Amino acid sequence: MQTLNYPNVQETLYREILENGLEVIVLPKEGFNKTYATFSTKYGSVDNKFSVGDGAPVQVPDGIAHFLEHKMFEEPTGDIFAVFASQGASANAFTSFDRTVYLFSATEKINENLETLINFVQNPYFTDANVEKEKGIIEQEINMYRDNADWRVYFGLIDALYHEHPVHIDIAGTAESIGKITKETLYQCYETFYHPSNMLLFVVGGVKAEEVFELVRANQAAKKFKPQGEINRFFEKEPESVKIARKVSELPVSLPKCMLGFKEKRAGLTGEALLRHEVTTKLMLEALIGPSSKLYQQLYEQNLISDSFGHEFNSSPGYAFSVIGGDTPDPDELIGQIRTAVEQLLKTGIESAAFERAKRKKIGGYLRMLNSPEAIAGEFTKYRFRDNDMFDVLEYYERCTLEDVNQRLREHFDFEQLAVSIVKQPGA
Amino acid sequence: MTQFERGQLQRLRLHVLPTKRFKTYAISLFAGLTLDEATVTPVALIPFVLRRGTASTPETIAFREKLDDLYGAGFGFDVYKRGDSQIVQFRMDVINESFVSSDQSMLAASLQFLGDVLTDPLIDNNGFHAKYVDAEKTTLRKRLEAIVNDKIRYAAERCLEEMCANEPYRLHPLGKLDEIESITPSSLYKHYEEWLSNAALDLYVVGDTTLEEVTGLVQQAFHLKTGTPSAYSLPVVKHDVKEVKKVTDRMEVSQGKLNLGLRMGIGYDDDEYPAALMYNGILGGYPHSKLFLNVREKASLAYYAASRLDGHKGICTIQSGIEFANYERAVAIILEQLESMKQGKLSELELDQTKAMISNHLRELQDSAYEMIAYDFNSVLTGKQRSAEQLLEQVQAVTPADIVKVAQRVQLDTIYFLRDRKEA
Repeated sequence: MQTLNYPNVQETLYREILENGLEVIVLPKEGFNKTYATFSTKYGSVDNKFSVGDGAPVQVPDGIAHFLEHKMFEEPTGDIFAVFASQGASANAFTSFDRTVYLFSATEKINENLETLINFVQNPYFTDANVEKEKGIIEQEINMYRDNADWRVYFGLIDALYHEHPVHIDIAGTAESIGKITKETLYQCYETFYHPSNMLLFVVGGVKAEEVFELVRANQAAKKFKPQGEINRFFEKEPESVKIARKVSELPVSLPKCMLGFKEKRAGLTGEALLRHEVTTKLMLEALIGPSSKLYQQLYEQNLISDSFGHEFNSSPGYAFSVIGGDTPDPDELIGQIRTAVEQLLKTGIESAAFERAKRKKIGGYLRMLNSPEAIAGEFTKYRFRDNDMFDVLEYYERCTLEDVNQRLREHFDFEQLAVSIVKQPGA
Repeated sequence: MTQFERGQLQRLRLHVLPTKRFKTYAISLFAGLTLDEATVTPVALIPFVLRRGTASTPETIAFREKLDDLYGAGFGFDVYKRGDSQIVQFRMDVINESFVSSDQSMLAASLQFLGDVLTDPLIDNNGFHAKYVDAEKTTLRKRLEAIVNDKIRYAAERCLEEMCANEPYRLHPLGKLDEIESITPSSLYKHYEEWLSNAALDLYVVGDTTLEEVTGLVQQAFHLKTGTPSAYSLPVVKHDVKEVKKVTDRMEVSQGKLNLGLRMGIGYDDDEYPAALMYNGILGGYPHSKLFLNVREKASLAYYAASRLDGHKGICTIQSGIEFANYERAVAIILEQLESMKQGKLSELELDQTKAMISNHLRELQDSAYEMIAYDFNSVLTGKQRSAEQLLEQVQAVTPADIVKVAQRVQLDTIYFLRDRKEA
């Protein structure tokens, strides 16, 4: 067991990689009643073509990682939610582009709940009948998202940005793609991605580190896992350009929703370079278009944006893009003004004062995040799967300079790389 | 556990929880007034205008820069209903100075900021700054028009609006669209003055501080009107349903949103409240509950099927997203669950699971500053003193007979359905 001290944030982490490859991290939080645990696999919606070791590549239906997440909750003995409920734990799971996370939070019976979490995720139970039954439920989940304008404009943007990379595929798939899922394909994905060496257990809250490690070591030692070869993920070559410059969908909305996305030409960063790139871009966007920027105030005063307006930056080794937008009465005017302002800034650069404020804001936001066990577990796992340490993020923010940010500004805003997604009222 | 320390400054009640558990100071200010058609819209607009600038920092951009300088202090507000009150809540979340290289007290600076926002706004010619009022009227209008964008929330609010058509609770906390136009900078300022003179005002601080320190800081930072604190009035939760109301709205949607409204006849301050919590938990509060199991897991009709208890209004609502054609089936299954609750078809397992889940929630909330504040504020709202530990004990003591008694008082009031435009 390795002890990692982070004195600047007053936290201590304990870490161990077990013999079967499972990585376990414990972050004790003194004085907390709650324990929050996540058991995550580095497997998400983008992992739809893969091989193991020297095996042949396999292509699986879209939405299968999410389908698998749903089906894991069913055991031969019944629904696992009931077991967690009996142990006073609130359980859940989610699937993102690059990971699937199972979790619980509880204030008592922590050992029992940890055992339950590990055991149910390590015990798949799929039958023809239970797979069929789930299709009806997931179709309703897909329909629910279809009615959600925020979701439609966001995923519409990603679809407009990417030609080939599976990040543009809906996480839940479509009614058609999930129709093709069988128990055999589920087992195949399960065997590949739920091997302990592809997983991370994170426990944070009112626990003692050594007790958690003892429990997990014993639990894993009692189970047999075949050693597994390396997982290879295959992605078609993604062209530099965006797929669709402008994508419009129709839904009943009071005002159009409009998002701008800039696609990075150069994806493929990993490790430290990826983290530095992400931190610098987020700082740059905050200084450029955050709520205290001149541009934000200008747009707000002209009634072109509202409180829903925001920005984010998503990056992984396979894709990287920014998202800027919100509700607007006039998407074209909004896009035009953002373009004019950015082109002006490309000449002058971001001001030093704006940069310093953005930096303070990001540092404060990061530290506030550390109050939340859920956020810590989520962020830690996300960064870990990209070979980064979440606790380094603070240092990267501190080290970032005005020159870095201005260079990022010039690289990122290439209007050839812009895609726009709009959701508007039918017929408007 | 540590308790809130209580104080009072003029019309403001102070609630301070000294703790070193968090890396932040969490600050909440609640201002509540009885929901009233005549005031609901201007009162909703007040916080929008207050967050644009103050007498000392009139420009919005400088005002927001101040927050960034406080290490990106979180600052926001919300307007919502509790019981028959319209509550404006301001929130600040600021990092404790020991984590950053700062020589100023973050708590002092934050309370100064909040004090300026609430009690020292930007004034021109006996009214609020006209430009800000105009802009925020537009923002409020957009917010009200945007309710329709989120179909799940829209359906939930339409259901309550229909159900409470003859009560103040029908009003949306953000007011009424057609009342916005006539508001002027001076009329709004008058409303603001009355609001500050009449609203129940409560300030909460959770963090590494003391009541004494907060009292001193608030005294400097807030220009409070003289007087004594106002109390909240309790809503009437008893309600006799004569006939079940059925409402269908049509819109371009892919999925039907089914909402049912139930009258519980039990409020937060009632002794039956713990049993009402259990009723809701067994019916639809969790993934082990009757609604989830029967509508989703057994019938595969929905992705979500759940219930929610509003203890301050004595209402329980049920929501589910279904295929349009499954309306009758889904309603039938839901009504069966209500009936089985009345019949006392409650397994020991359901009881134990629900008690464990509610207890877990009550223990977990001690780990979040804002949740502790929200829980404590329930006592301010209702006058009912009941700590989380006491509620936990009372929930543990609830018997099946107590739940059946609740179930027999429950009356179905409204069935609301949002569906597509095609005629069935």
